[in-house]
Amino acid sequence: MAEVTIKVNGAPVSRDVPDAMLLVEFLREELRLTGTHVGCDTSQCGACVVHLDGRAVKSCTTLAAQAYGAEVTTIEGLAAGEELHPMQRAFHENHGLQCGFCTPGMIMTGIDMVRRYRAAGQELDEAAIRHELEGNLCRCTGYHNIVKSIRQAAGEM
Amino acid sequence: MVEGARARVVAGGTDLFPQLGDRLPDGDLVDLGRIRDLNEMGQCPDGWLIGAGTTWSEILRAEMPSGFDGLKAAAREVGSVQIQNRATLVGNICNASPAADGIPPLLTLNAKVILVGPRGTRRMDLPDFLRGPRQTGMRQGEIVAGVLVPRGVCERSAAFRKLGARRYLVISIAMVAAVLRCDAAGRIANARVAVGAASPVARRLPALEAALEGADAAALADPGFVRPEHLAPLAPVSDVRGSAEYRCDAIAELCRRTVLDALSRSPR
Ligand SMILES: Cc1cc2nc3c(=O)[nH]c(=O)nc-3n(C[C@H](O)[C@H](O)[C@H](O)COP(=O)(O)OP(=O)(O)OC[C@H]3O[C@@H](n4cnc5c(N)ncnc54)[C@H](O)[C@@H]3O)c2cc1C
Ligand code: FES
Ligand code: FES
Repeated sequence: MAEVTIKVNGAPVSRDVPDAMLLVEFLREELRLTGTHVGCDTSQCGACVVHLDGRAVKSCTTLAAQAYGAEVTTIEGLAAGEELHPMQRAFHENHGLQCGFCTPGMIMTGIDMVRRYRAAGQELDEAAIRHELEGNLCRCTGYHNIVKSIRQAAGEM
Repeated sequence: MVEGARARVVAGGTDLFPQLGDRLPDGDLVDLGRIRDLNEMGQCPDGWLIGAGTTWSEILRAEMPSGFDGLKAAAREVGSVQIQNRATLVGNICNASPAADGIPPLLTLNAKVILVGPRGTRRMDLPDFLRGPRQTGMRQGEIVAGVLVPRGVCERSAAFRKLGARRYLVISIAMVAAVLRCDAAGRIANARVAVGAASPVARRLPALEAALEGADAAALADPGFVRPEHLAPLAPVSDVRGSAEYRCDAIAELCRRTVLDALSRSPR
């Protein structure tokens, strides 16, 4: 067993979990934060993306124990009460989802790319967004409205 | 610590966990991320050290000499940002896939692998470390502490190119890294070229390196500059992604373009 003491969406949590438990299993099964999805077993789909100390990672390639001492943000941690995060609102307004399975990962990835490009002083244009979405798969939307959503949010964040 | 016969080292886990699938590892897992000493990267008396904890994202963000331009270009090609944020360069070479993006750039940089084990520390040249597909020269109980790029090559000009239908979810047809030293007239004084994914282990191309000596951009403008015999140590296969003949042509052209990229970056 491994002791996992982390902050999730601002709240400290501490649990003893099996050594080999993945971060995504910890979030979904221990904390019942089921907004983070699992869409594959090969770390390819991106449905499980969360922020680990402020950077996007696939929570299916990280052990819960490896996150010891870190701060994790999941899709549940974005909205301020009833007020959606600008990225969530943009997906809603631009029809950036259909079945919604990929959406949490898309939103976490979208926020990460907007922040990163801003910090680097680079323009996040459509080509850059499409390139940045390399690690996130969507079977429904054809990506067009996802790109539109991220562009809108980039202007509002 | 790592002596337990079935203990497994995990760095970023981006090779390890997808390979394990639903099977839980049966031995102990040792997380290198928490060993501070392994997270160092930077100049040292012998050259440039990249510690085992260094992620691809950290390589991309670091200020490094020109010789590392090829390695940085490779860093951009590894999976996606979320993978680059976790995955390490050292995990890439320890996994020893024939198609590992980190290996050709490190071969052209003459990198040494630093191993630490119960019997102390030793260094191996990267080609000796890479025994075969998914096989390394690591002994029981040893881990890789980092890779060292010798001082002399850090300031050369370098480039990297990868050929595949899409970057993600594909096994590349080939990747090429080149490191050059040029004279004042823009002629190549010394060239190192390595190709991955076209043989069981990525290889340098000595015949091409010899042919490049004295060549300049004008000579390399000839689309036939890289000849089939220059690709001698490679053994491209025929499969659904392309015939061996197509691969040879593609690799020759990829080599020519990569060398031209490196040449165009060399200071005059
Ligand atoms: C979606 C996806 C896309 C990918 N795309 C690419 C790509 O484009 N190009 C590419 O080259 N790779 C790619 N990879 C593979 C992988 O991300 C890289 O090889 C990565 O660099 C591995 O690093 P890691 O730290 O995650 O290794 P881990 O998975 O932690 O370890 C890999 C292996 O090395 C061993 N190991 C790790 N560190 C040490 C050490 N210090 N000492 C001894 N043994 C050690 C582990 O025990 C394990 O066997 C991809 C992976 C995924 C999931
Ligand atoms: S579940 Fe598919 S990438 Fe993590
Ligand atoms: S909305 Fe269904 S997978 Fe993206």
